[in-house]
Amino acid sequence: MNTEETILALNKHFPALEAVSNRPLRVFTAFAEPKAFEETLRYANLTLGYHKGKHIIGTDEGENIGLSYIISNDEDVLLVLRERVPKSAPHVHSMGELYPSLMLHEREMVDLFGVQVSGLPEGPRYPLPDCWPDGEYPMRKEWNPAYFNKQTVTYEPPKQEDAK
Amino acid sequence: MSDYREKNKVVVQIGPQHPSLKEPGSFKITLDGEKVERAVIEIGYNHRGIEKACESRNYIQALYIIERVCGICSHAHTSCFCQAFEEIAGLEVPRRAHYIRGIVGELERLHSHLLWLGVASHEIGFDTLFMYTWRDRELVLDLLARIGGNRVNYGVNTYGGVRRDLEPELMQDILTVCDLLEEKLKYYADLALTETTLIARLRGIGTLLPEDVRKYSAVGPVARAAGIMDDVRITEPYGVFREIAVNGITDDHCDVYGRTLVRVKEMLEAIRLIRIMVKEIPDGPISVRPPRKLPVGESLSRVEAPRGEDIHYIRSNGGESPDRVRVRAPSEANWHGMSHMLEGFQLADVPIIIAAIDPCYSCTDRAIHLIGDGINQLTDWAQIRALSIEQYKARGIDPGSIKIREF
Amino acid sequence: MGLFDKAIAWGEKNSPWIIHFNAGACNGCDIEVVDALTPQYDLERLGILQQGSPKHADVLVCTGAVTLQTRDRLKQIYDQMSTPKFVIAVGTCACTGGIFDSCYCVTGGIDTVVPVDAYIPGCAVRPEAIIDAVGKLLATFDQKEAKGK
Repeated sequence: MNTEETILALNKHFPALEAVSNRPLRVFTAFAEPKAFEETLRYANLTLGYHKGKHIIGTDEGENIGLSYIISNDEDVLLVLRERVPKSAPHVHSMGELYPSLMLHEREMVDLFGVQVSGLPEGPRYPLPDCWPDGEYPMRKEWNPAYFNKQTVTYEPPKQEDAK
Repeated sequence: MSDYREKNKVVVQIGPQHPSLKEPGSFKITLDGEKVERAVIEIGYNHRGIEKACESRNYIQALYIIERVCGICSHAHTSCFCQAFEEIAGLEVPRRAHYIRGIVGELERLHSHLLWLGVASHEIGFDTLFMYTWRDRELVLDLLARIGGNRVNYGVNTYGGVRRDLEPELMQDILTVCDLLEEKLKYYADLALTETTLIARLRGIGTLLPEDVRKYSAVGPVARAAGIMDDVRITEPYGVFREIAVNGITDDHCDVYGRTLVRVKEMLEAIRLIRIMVKEIPDGPISVRPPRKLPVGESLSRVEAPRGEDIHYIRSNGGESPDRVRVRAPSEANWHGMSHMLEGFQLADVPIIIAAIDPCYSCTDRAIHLIGDGINQLTDWAQIRALSIEQYKARGIDPGSIKIREF
Repeated sequence: MGLFDKAIAWGEKNSPWIIHFNAGACNGCDIEVVDALTPQYDLERLGILQQGSPKHADVLVCTGAVTLQTRDRLKQIYDQMSTPKFVIAVGTCACTGGIFDSCYCVTGGIDTVVPVDAYIPGCAVRPEAIIDAVGKLLATFDQKEAKGK
């Protein structure tokens, strides 16, 4: 299935995704809620033949956290399907049964963005070190490396009163 | 008896400091005798926080950091990053720059594969080949130093093209080195195909069948050794490869031997490509002026690094710094199948199986397990003897009656 | 200096054995360190042999900016080496943290964890610079011997 066919199929079944392509072998879609995203991912894998899991890119979308899954097929089209969850309740399901190679990257989302991924098997954390404090998610935009004390391994943001 | 075997499985911790692994990575191998039953891999020692650092720097500063994601494939990373930038900015890179990027890229592939061949031979105890290949590699490094100014991290790429041009004498020297290297590479190819001890050591280990390559999304020589034509220069030609066709190399062995053959043949192919590029390089400018700020947009760019498909993502919000930078190095993709590749093979084969995916931990972590709490315990002679008597008693032998002479 | 100490000093000066550890580097300096041991530069003619275990080594050759994860491991490796021991920081990142100094997972250069005897700057460091540093370090053994330590 090539780029154009993929866009046609996606826009027919999931018009809310607004699948577009700005160049050959790339298809970008809009952010979706977890349930709709999982449905689309399953469709892309089982029906459209996108069985290769390439990568997951986590992004900070202000109030939300975005997870962009990059998957590919035998014709090497890169399809980007995205889900968005609120920072206050970032719960997603692991898509490891469809894409075992993406589980390492789901662990990255847990460590770097604080996303809670249910269904991941037991395993070591990745990529942050063992001594990393809980609750600190460095890839969130509000986290400033300048306030991170590497000797005591604690995050020390300035207090609000000092700013006055 | 089987219960005894269950309880007495040895867990060997390999790494993070280990004589044969040049980079820190931790492997907890559960052994059944000499056979690897289970392997738990912990990487992340090289995680430096590069992507966050790029967000607080402008694009030019970010390029320097991206170059140092990995010292072995630095040109591949900067080519990919520049490509992503140029796509968002809508820049048309001059043809001469594409050719220069291509020449340096293929020279990098040569040096990286020679490095790999040397390290792999060292892992199997074939130190002579290690010394030969690294001696030959110096020819390539000298060329790269003349082109870019440095043996490692050559800094040839910039947004909109390349920073340095190739003079005619340098191009002539590139061809001379190609001739010298080709002779030596043919010798290595012959060695790989006919040397029985080498073949015996590498055949049939670290097997990853085509269906597993697909399941674990392996890329580069690991995928090509399983017969799958996974080469970005062919599937999505970029830069100079839109004009020059690459002969993709695949092999059907699916094991470490297959990966060796693929890499050796790729080196010969790289020489062929360099010769064509030097002969057909067009005249013209070597770069166009890039903007300081990128328009709003995002792009995913891919190149074929020596280890496989390298993907970079840039998202711009219109400012001088990137909003989000993401690097998916090829080694990251090849790690997923590592546990599968180790299981069922001998402990002595573990270093070469790990080396066969040509892992680059710095590419993977950019951005490992102290067993226990680091308890230090000094066990004296009497305690060791008591422990061993206990273990023998569990097997039904009582050595306690044997008198040991005090030394 | 007793006879035993003199023998150790003589062995160290004429054949220092090294152990190489990557504390979070990009690999550039590591391949140059290995390069220094291969035929073109051949440190082995100065009596330098690379060892696998810290217990067999006199000199710790360390590359890379120290990451939070490797910090404790580096200390452990240093502690396992028997005295007298020396540390060489290879590369700009090992000297000061280099380009990665402000990154959240990097604590800085090697000297934030262990005492360093020789700093070799460069990105990546050239094998000639490594040879120069080794020569200078060996010369300091001479001075120590002269002072009777």
